[in-house]
Amino acid sequence: MKKAYGLLKQTGVVLSLVVFVLVAAAPIAWLLLSSVLQQQALISTPPDLSLSSFTLENYTAVFGSAAQLGRGIFNSLVISIATTALAILLGAPAAYALARLDIRHADTILLMVLAAQMFPAIVIAIPLFITASKLGLIDTKINLILIYLSFNLPVVIWVLRGFFTGLPTGLERAARMDGATIYQTFRLVILPISLPPLFAAAIFAFIEAWNEFFFALIMTRQAAQTVPLVISAFAGQYQTVFGQMMAAAAISVAPIIILTIILRNSILRGFADGMLKG
Amino acid sequence: MPEIKLVNVGKSYGTINVCHDINLKIADREFVTLLGSSGCGKTTTLNMIGGLDEVTTGDILMDGRRVNDLEPIDRDVAMVFQNYALYPHMTVAQNIGFNLKLKGINAADIAARVSMVAASLDLSHLLERYPKQLSGGQQQRVAIGRAIVRQPKVFLFDEPFSNLDAALRNRMRGEVRELHNRLGVTSIFVTHDQEEALSISDRVALMNRGRIEQVGTPEEIYARPATRYVVSFIGSPQIELMQGTVEAADGGPSVRLGSVLVGLPEGKGRFRVGQKVEIGIRPEHVRLGKTGIPSTVRLVQSVGPSTQIILGWEGGTLIATVPGFVRLDPGSTVRVEIPPEHVLAFDQETGLRL
Repeated sequence: MKKAYGLLKQTGVVLSLVVFVLVAAAPIAWLLLSSVLQQQALISTPPDLSLSSFTLENYTAVFGSAAQLGRGIFNSLVISIATTALAILLGAPAAYALARLDIRHADTILLMVLAAQMFPAIVIAIPLFITASKLGLIDTKINLILIYLSFNLPVVIWVLRGFFTGLPTGLERAARMDGATIYQTFRLVILPISLPPLFAAAIFAFIEAWNEFFFALIMTRQAAQTVPLVISAFAGQYQTVFGQMMAAAAISVAPIIILTIILRNSILRGFADGMLKG
Repeated sequence: MPEIKLVNVGKSYGTINVCHDINLKIADREFVTLLGSSGCGKTTTLNMIGGLDEVTTGDILMDGRRVNDLEPIDRDVAMVFQNYALYPHMTVAQNIGFNLKLKGINAADIAARVSMVAASLDLSHLLERYPKQLSGGQQQRVAIGRAIVRQPKVFLFDEPFSNLDAALRNRMRGEVRELHNRLGVTSIFVTHDQEEALSISDRVALMNRGRIEQVGTPEEIYARPATRYVVSFIGSPQIELMQGTVEAADGGPSVRLGSVLVGLPEGKGRFRVGQKVEIGIRPEHVRLGKTGIPSTVRLVQSVGPSTQIILGWEGGTLIATVPGFVRLDPGSTVRVEIPPEHVLAFDQETGLRL
């Protein structure tokens, strides 16, 4: 009876994982597939998947307009890395302070941090645009970095505060006994054992910044255009070159996938080590 | 070298009092244990001495200097924690040397001091390992190494052996006491294990509900318990207390338990006729003989060097410990003698020993 239940449970787990992977991977698979199909084969119903309709033309065409895509990728990298770095640099100490220090109204502060997240983008778009334009920040990377930071910082603070709150206090007490100041404790003891959640928060911030479309659209013209805008440019007024669009998208997804793979290993290793044991 | 003095020390979280009116004087180079069951306030008291928990009322003095508001590092104390609290991302050498590094001591000196401490704790071959690669006993040694490398004046131990198995616990107990003697420091040790407390300490402070019940040498605590709580806490097997009324006071005092009369220790004005008392006797003082009070054998348990005999009699339950192996059939009747000088009598109302 119990064995049968275990088998059932295991089957359930495997099945739901399969469904999850299919749902998660399908768009990527479709993206890759359509990036190597000719336009005609792609838009016919059903898509013509015969060998002759496969092509690398889309990629050569996209690389032909390399200047645009290259600039987009460069801008996106700068903006995403800067946003991520700032979000972690500012968010981690804030989260630790809110988790551990005797801060008055910590709960209220946390609620306000979260509340700032709740405005629909459209509501703040126009005031933000006016402010940015008065500051001469339109079409600059710095502008997007600041805007993305304002989205990501609250999330980073909430995620990391949850983690810090759950840490047993033993190590901090030991560090205090050893004569560490609160800053030393944070830098030399807490941060090194917090790499897994730090990486998780960083990946989240990076992806958010990398994919953001709405503010990038209204805040940039050309110089600071990010990848999503470059990709969307393949959708023309009269004709959408799906194949090229998909090829550009495939190229732009690559950094995120690589980043996730690299950091995923650290995250998994961190947890497998049982770094938090004891 | 410091003398530590706790004057009316108390600790409360909001309206909850964890410790109150703690008065304790610890002499230089003394080994004192705070003993008690969980939640009695012993660890909180230790943390207050160490500077990890703030003192709510009263003062902590070290060599006459009030240290209430000093950080641990400025009190010159080191602590060994219950679950070791080793830094998981640092090697053994880095764990031990961390506090020297924080002090700004140069790397060569740190390495020298760490290797000296490691050698004395038999850790030299493990210096490059990480805590998770060590056994419990080795981790415990690293934690001790981290404490002694600083050469502090006071050692604080917070149940350091509770995660070790019995054999290792025994060995570490001896090592810690030897270390204490060798380094000539003052040690304060917290444990819930009475055997550990009695065997390792110069003096024991038994705590109960945030107060100190009794402070004394292990012998005093065991043989002359101040209160009913102390007598029932200390001693294995636990002493059985029996309720009775004092029948005769001066000149051969005695207490009546049902139809049986038991002699009480001499002492002028010690007892009052009609006084309600509780009496107990340590199992090793109960004598089986040809005369005395008849009682029924309920259970016989041999533990190697001695045998415990659990007896039922009119007064209640009595436990006798006799050396060697003894064969007695459950249900048989034996006679027990209770030497009056070994009877511990407590006032039923106050719980104090008479």
